[in-house]
Amino acid sequence: MAGFGNPTLAVYSTVRELVENSLDACDDSGRLPVVTVDITTKDSDAVSVTVSDNGTGVPYEHVAEAFGRVLFGNKYSARQRRGTFGLGATMAALYGQVTTDCPLEVHTQTEESTGKAYRLFIDIEHNVPVVETVADLGREGPGTSVTVHLKGDFKRAQDRVLEYLRMTSVASPHARLLLRVNAVPQAEFGPWTDTPPRPTTASKPHPRGADVELLKRMISGNSEKRLKDFLTGSFQQIGDRTASRLLKYMCLDPRKSVGSFTREEVSLLSAALRSFDGFDRPEADCLSPLGKEVFLTSVGATFEVSFSTYSRRGPSDWDGNPFIIEGVLAIGTGLPPSEVPTLYRFANRVPLLYDSSEDVFMKSLKKIDWTRYGLTASQPVSVFIHLCSTRVPYRAAGKQSIAPIPEIEAEALPLFREMGRAFSKSAEKIARSAHDIKKLREFAKSFRMVAGFGAALAESEPPSTDHLVASLFEVNDNV
Amino acid sequence: MSDATDPQNALTLLGRRVVQSIIEGSFPTLEIPDRSTENIVFDPDQRQFVLGGSRVVRNSSNIRHVKSFAQLLWTAYFAKELLKASRTSSLRDLYYSSEAFGVKFTDQSESDRVVTDLESLIGLAREDFGVFPEEHSSVYGQVTMRYTVPGYDGREVELTVSPDGLPIGPALMTAEPVRTGAEIVLAVESGGMFGRLIETRAWERFKAILVQLGGQPPRSTRRLLRRFHEVLGLPVYIFTDGDPWGMHIAQVIITGSANAAHVRGLTVPDAKWIGVTPADINNYSLPTEQMNDADLKRLDELTQDLRYTGSIWQEHIRGFRELRRKAEQQAFSRYGMDYVVDTYLPDKLH
Repeated sequence: MAGFGNPTLAVYSTVRELVENSLDACDDSGRLPVVTVDITTKDSDAVSVTVSDNGTGVPYEHVAEAFGRVLFGNKYSARQRRGTFGLGATMAALYGQVTTDCPLEVHTQTEESTGKAYRLFIDIEHNVPVVETVADLGREGPGTSVTVHLKGDFKRAQDRVLEYLRMTSVASPHARLLLRVNAVPQAEFGPWTDTPPRPTTASKPHPRGADVELLKRMISGNSEKRLKDFLTGSFQQIGDRTASRLLKYMCLDPRKSVGSFTREEVSLLSAALRSFDGFDRPEADCLSPLGKEVFLTSVGATFEVSFSTYSRRGPSDWDGNPFIIEGVLAIGTGLPPSEVPTLYRFANRVPLLYDSSEDVFMKSLKKIDWTRYGLTASQPVSVFIHLCSTRVPYRAAGKQSIAPIPEIEAEALPLFREMGRAFSKSAEKIARSAHDIKKLREFAKSFRMVAGFGAALAESEPPSTDHLVASLFEVNDNV
Repeated sequence: MSDATDPQNALTLLGRRVVQSIIEGSFPTLEIPDRSTENIVFDPDQRQFVLGGSRVVRNSSNIRHVKSFAQLLWTAYFAKELLKASRTSSLRDLYYSSEAFGVKFTDQSESDRVVTDLESLIGLAREDFGVFPEEHSSVYGQVTMRYTVPGYDGREVELTVSPDGLPIGPALMTAEPVRTGAEIVLAVESGGMFGRLIETRAWERFKAILVQLGGQPPRSTRRLLRRFHEVLGLPVYIFTDGDPWGMHIAQVIITGSANAAHVRGLTVPDAKWIGVTPADINNYSLPTEQMNDADLKRLDELTQDLRYTGSIWQEHIRGFRELRRKAEQQAFSRYGMDYVVDTYLPDKLH
């Protein structure tokens, strides 16, 4: 299973999937998230991970489906999310069940309910959830706690988990994140801001992103509709006019109901949607970048930073998926020095900690000649990159690095250069002011000598020079 | 002590001006005569080159000026201390002393330049405030000098007292010529020729006071030449190598140097360059060397030089140009050790 390849990775991935689910749930509710990660180590290789949030809670009728079925969810609508339809949490539950034969524990309460605790298994053969027990159990308030028992090595995963939470608080600076190990508090991060992310509006899919898989899912809910109505009703950027032009472009009967399409016809439709060049670019309301102020604040709160600059590119799109890239370049004693800037990557507010070498941003970063911007090997420079998209093009199922999509690279390079220029401008400024101070000191010293030796010649007391020197440099400052 | 030409007083006045300006809340400025070659003119009355009217303003509020402004005032202070204590110092000594006061000079040529600034600012030669060059040239001959320096005041010295000649230092420069048996002054460029003329008793034969120049002579030597000429009424003859550089040594003695155009009393307008001239090289068939690029370039420069506008000088330059060769004073030794004394000098001096 991707992300669960070894006992160390299993613990880290479990924490990660549950935390992402919790943060998404909180953002849906508009609350500032408080997410607690509780790790209990029983013996050397058995670990329990409990992640609790103050989100909306899960309505009881959805609990079993939400956590107990692989590929739950039938959203056609697209918007920026951390997790992918709760799939990750189900994977964690499955891994726990396989390795320890223990059920998943879900304790949830909504605004309307008083709270229930579930123990459930996944029937792997039939891919259906099996609720073992349900009990009434109150919580302190609405929210959900999920516990996965699994075989894993927390000792070795601890540093990764800590780094993950620390980085998560950079990209979700409105959240408060706590880590407890065997009931002992270990770490706490955030919140660095009390502004929740701007709520995103879910948008219909853009036609350029209509692969066969998506089309099939969309058709299954609209099988009665005729092709033209299906197109105008299910996609963004297709109105009557565009639909007419599009229908001329592809050789399909506009009056035919989509439910009766053959496999070949569906794939023809997909090909036509993806190659037609008459669509406007996708809406970006479904994206939620951190924004300049928040991003600079969270980086500054997490690292000791003496200089930072923010840049942003987009919205733009790849295959009909809108995206925005934003970045912070920071310099400070709290950052590691290296030849090229150290890269911290985030996708939809999730930190990516592994497999950086093949990542599109790492490759772009290395294409930049940073020395042009006055960066030297001894400087502790870091670049924080956040990609927001309705769909993040991960290179592999492990979701740790982003594929080299040309459209993304085309925005990443100018973004890096923009930050480099901002840095070199400010470096010049700093150097200039240091130079000015040095010049002032040298001037004051020389001028004191003028007064001193002048007085020695005149055989009088040396006059004070401070006001004259000060007046000269004030004038220069104003120029 | 209110006379501005009194060195100590001139320096005190400089200090007062600077302090007064600062007390009044304005940055002191100084006007220094411009010593660039564009500002040199020939003064027919003094028969020497003097500085024209152009001046450069040094403003202590200017970041690029303030350092040399401080250096200049320190130099003035140092000079005043020398005068108060009746001491002398050398240019090199001045350069090294600066460090103890926190005044920084990049090198001695910078401090030498600042000394020259001070000279032209207050209108006095550095010798007036006790600063001399380190290198000495020498003098030998039948002349008696009376010292004026403290401790030796009134004592007399006869300049044949040492067979090596006497170094021309601050004491000898300020001494009064009292009497002489000599009829001419013969200034020679090289130490070797100076020694030869003493050994062969040529000074007796030509009734000459011998002065060794050692390349471009220090100002004290030029000043002494002028005193011999003025006080004793002796004609001055200059004998140098036969090349553009030797010719220019003579020129500076006669009409003055650009760098000291602000100082009076250094030139001997009536002095004569006896050689080695380009004509001598031909007439005496002297062994010669090919001129190098630097020599030829120097000739080009001298062609443009105001001081060489006279027809005789132009003739010499043309002669060198045609020859493209040069000869040293020692070239005469091809005809034997004493040829210069027995043949050449008698030819040239009579």
